[in-house]
Amino acid sequence: MLAEYLPTLLFLIVATGIGIALILIGNFLGPKRPSPEKLSPYECGFNAFEDARMQFDVRYYLIAILFIVFDLEIAFVYPWALVFRELGVFGLIEMGVFLALLFIGFIYVWKKGALEWE
Amino acid sequence: MVPLSWYLALSAVLFTLGAVGVFLKRNIISMLLCLELMLNAANLAFIAFSSFFGQVEGQLFVFLVMTVAAAEAGVGLAIVIAVFRNRETLDVDESNLLKL
Amino acid sequence: MTFEQILFILFAGIVVGGAASVLLQRNPLYSAFSLITTFVGLACLYVTLKAQFLGVVQIVVYAGAIMMLFVFVIMLLNIRDEDTAVDPNRFLVYLTIPLGAILLGALLYVVTKVNLAQPTGDEGGTVERIGTNLLTKYLLPFEATSVLILMAVVGALHLAKREKE
Repeated sequence: MLAEYLPTLLFLIVATGIGIALILIGNFLGPKRPSPEKLSPYECGFNAFEDARMQFDVRYYLIAILFIVFDLEIAFVYPWALVFRELGVFGLIEMGVFLALLFIGFIYVWKKGALEWE
Repeated sequence: MVPLSWYLALSAVLFTLGAVGVFLKRNIISMLLCLELMLNAANLAFIAFSSFFGQVEGQLFVFLVMTVAAAEAGVGLAIVIAVFRNRETLDVDESNLLKL
Repeated sequence: MTFEQILFILFAGIVVGGAASVLLQRNPLYSAFSLITTFVGLACLYVTLKAQFLGVVQIVVYAGAIMMLFVFVIMLLNIRDEDTAVDPNRFLVYLTIPLGAILLGALLYVVTKVNLAQPTGDEGGTVERIGTNLLTKYLLPFEATSVLILMAVVGALHLAKREKE
């Protein structure tokens, strides 16, 4: 059974190996002549306005919360989608209740204005 | 074949690392990260038992634990944001208004 | 040593290395990225335990969604390294080592009592089996989950949203 996943394992090993190898080769072989201009953050040709580590807006967090909701929703829909033919109408109602409850959360977030960006 | 005890030993090591981290760290976010580590140690033990006993219940439980972890992270981090807004710090020792 | 055991040691090394790095990093952002490494190693272990679906869910939900939330908050609050330095005067730091050793010893003692080398059951958890069980036998936890997520969304929104002045 596990033999099916051998290609995936090989893929992981090769991908990791190539990634590490490229970083190491670049580090060892590349010439390094740093100057303050080269080390400064690049911002389309003109001088940088502010620190690159600026604070993010809290609205990104609210969007991320919504993303988590739909992410979990999809994770639960996946096993349902494989068996819903056997479950029939009952399974449909179950998933309908599940989705409806999550949809209430979506409507709440929407009505609270978390998605507005003014 | 890998024996069950190997998986359980790994789970024990992971849980201990998480518990030590909760004690050592002073930053709320780092403590929450260590909490996730402990949850994952429990998940690993669940899946190991589920696989060795050939029952699917353990995996269902892990699925629900992941959902609870997502809810916990969402509300916990919202609390962190609210605390940071009011007290301008993330140090747990500074958040002591309710202490006797 | 069989191929499976070598694989286990490889993935366990990734998991423990990532977990140790979570503890050792001072910047919470690096801690979070180390934790993602741990999660990927755990997902690989889940696949070797015939729990492929949960391996994928581990990546999608944990490494994808939950850790993204953590990283967003770390960047949102813009934490500098000095905020997170360990205070050397805190007595808990000295208590942690023996307490951790005791905990690990107790857990490993219990683990040695388990001597199950071979799987006793037949099949692992295919996605169909998870779906059938989730939607028939464990219907109530499944529906309760959606209520939990709903509550989490409402609570998180209420706590995090800035009040209008």
